[in-house]
Amino acid sequence: MRSMMTKLAAATLAALVAGPIAGWAQTASPGAKSATLAQVKARGHLECGVHTGIPGWSFPNDKGEWSGLDVDLCRSVAAAIFGDASKVKYTPTTVQQRWSVLSSGQVDLLSRISTLTFKRDTELGFNFVQINYFEGQTFIVRKSAGIKEPKDLDGAAVCVAAGSTEERNATDWFRERNLKINIVKFEKNDDAIAAYDSERCDTYTAGTGALAGQRRKLKNPADHVILAGTISRDPQGPVTREGDDGWDNVIRWVFNGTLIAELHGVTAANVDKMRADSRNAEVRMLLGADGNAGQILGLSKDWMFNAIKQVGNYGEQFERSVGMGSDLKLERGYNQLWTKGGLMFTPVLD
Amino acid sequence: MSAPRIAAGPWGWMRARLFRGPVDTAITFACLYLLWLAVPPVLDWLVLSASWVGDSRDACTDGGACWVFVRVRFAQFMYGFYPEAERWRVNLAGLLVAALVALLFLPAFRGKRAVAGVLLAVAVPGIVILLSGGVLGLRPVETRDWGGLMVTVFMALYGAILAVPVSLLLALGRQSKLPVVRALSILYVEFWRGVPIIAIIFLASNLLPLIVPAGVTVDKLARALIGLALVISAYMAEVIRGGLLAIPKGQYEAARSLGLGYWTGTRLVILPQAIRIVIPSLVNEFIALFKNTTLVLIVSLFDLLGMIQSALADPKWVGLNLEGYVFAGIVFWIVCFAMSRWSQRLERRLERRPN
Repeated sequence: MRSMMTKLAAATLAALVAGPIAGWAQTASPGAKSATLAQVKARGHLECGVHTGIPGWSFPNDKGEWSGLDVDLCRSVAAAIFGDASKVKYTPTTVQQRWSVLSSGQVDLLSRISTLTFKRDTELGFNFVQINYFEGQTFIVRKSAGIKEPKDLDGAAVCVAAGSTEERNATDWFRERNLKINIVKFEKNDDAIAAYDSERCDTYTAGTGALAGQRRKLKNPADHVILAGTISRDPQGPVTREGDDGWDNVIRWVFNGTLIAELHGVTAANVDKMRADSRNAEVRMLLGADGNAGQILGLSKDWMFNAIKQVGNYGEQFERSVGMGSDLKLERGYNQLWTKGGLMFTPVLD
Repeated sequence: MSAPRIAAGPWGWMRARLFRGPVDTAITFACLYLLWLAVPPVLDWLVLSASWVGDSRDACTDGGACWVFVRVRFAQFMYGFYPEAERWRVNLAGLLVAALVALLFLPAFRGKRAVAGVLLAVAVPGIVILLSGGVLGLRPVETRDWGGLMVTVFMALYGAILAVPVSLLLALGRQSKLPVVRALSILYVEFWRGVPIIAIIFLASNLLPLIVPAGVTVDKLARALIGLALVISAYMAEVIRGGLLAIPKGQYEAARSLGLGYWTGTRLVILPQAIRIVIPSLVNEFIALFKNTTLVLIVSLFDLLGMIQSALADPKWVGLNLEGYVFAGIVFWIVCFAMSRWSQRLERRLERRPN
């Protein structure tokens, strides 16, 4: 414990005055599966750390409710715990704040486009429970250009913000493959995207999610396409503090549950009927018709029934927040189920 | 030698001011040309081609500004996430502030000081209670639900309320003959003045929760507010010290020879004169404070600007940055301009009053 705390302190701003880090020393009460879960239940709501505002992933809607793909994960977990997706309180966090907010125990769960990296997983003392979005750097091009994947961009002019990670990634990727691109540098991302829009470049590069947001800013969003292939990888997912496996299980299986539901065609609309009529063993288990999956996690047997009914399966969440049902019109791509050519491969609920 | 032309009426004024010679005439026309270039497109975007009605971006088809965005989100920009049913509390708090401001503008009447004092004594804790609730049957509203202009005004107001007394003491302390008091005042001012506000707010918000024992939570808004007040008080102390330095030594001696002690003399003789001298710089500090409140963005408190930025993350409204920032600019300008007018009025009134 001591060494973990030291590592955490060294890696965060807390290094300056590493004091007794309170609030998350998990002294589990006997019998409880997860101290965090017990705390959350006693408190009556989930504390979720989200992004202060990123198109499609986390934003307040017109009614002042937090929405988006990352927010939907918080809502699914709340629905699984309380049977009520609205029992979440959100702590919007900036990029500098997110780790200290999580490690100081201000939030139970950080669902905020955070990339799984070695150091974060080990040194910082966090657990990346599952990957809920496979992000990667790619390119936006005009539909009329007929470009299908990044390597078709040989000889293209690429607008970038000078000194950005995106610039470095693109340069390296094309150099490794002996392809030539002309980097056109701008001071800021917004200038680069504007230059692309005024046809000074053939393409602009960023992560898929960011590109979907940027595309919305172009004069005619429908004339542009985001390439499917990526040149970098940014697996993003919900993060918890190390040391409470029971809590990690809850988050992991709620997320897996939303994938399993999608796999078997369980949606918010048909979940009642599915629970009553489905003959698929996994669906019956998931929705609490058979077995005691919910109880094993320390939840009720309706855990995923409530989550699916109130928040929908992963596909529904995706389409509503960032996909075709939203203004971002992002393709599922890697985030499609593996049965449809994506990377979303889910463990088995038995 | 011809008789001098009589410059009278608008034509005369124009001739005297704008078309006095070939150079003046050329400059006038150049300026008119620049205005001609700049004003119509801006006006067109802001007003003429702007879209005002509707409830989504689809309604914005006229090519100008999409004010639909600001209209739909207006309540959020004002109140943040404050529950709709409880917004009357924010309005009431605003009314209290407005009453205090109005009182400042009223001509002097008997007992004005007493009324202002009572109102201030009621309003300062009253507004906090009113907004946060939890007592007197008011539903508690956490500060995380506060947002928009309400947070901006609250931070500026309470930042000033905390900073002014501290800065007065610091300014006097730095003039003090007691070495310890003087040293502490200098240390305080030089330290807080030398550290960027953003760093203070950031440290106050992110370090405190890591150091304080478990179970103790200091509200995020309060943390940022204290951080802001610490820095502002150092700045204000220096402004007030400037006023103190400008008071001739004779005034101090006169107060002393009348048999006034240090505190009485300071209160009745020195401070009234010193404050009068520094009103313009003090209001300058208030305006800076008001604008600095936007820095709380970095600890994810949603002031007006933060609220606008997060609204721009709704895919429905992505890309309407110009509308959002222009709106923020207009609101900030109105408040700052009002403050500056008020300070001018105050100066004029104090000038009229004999010493």
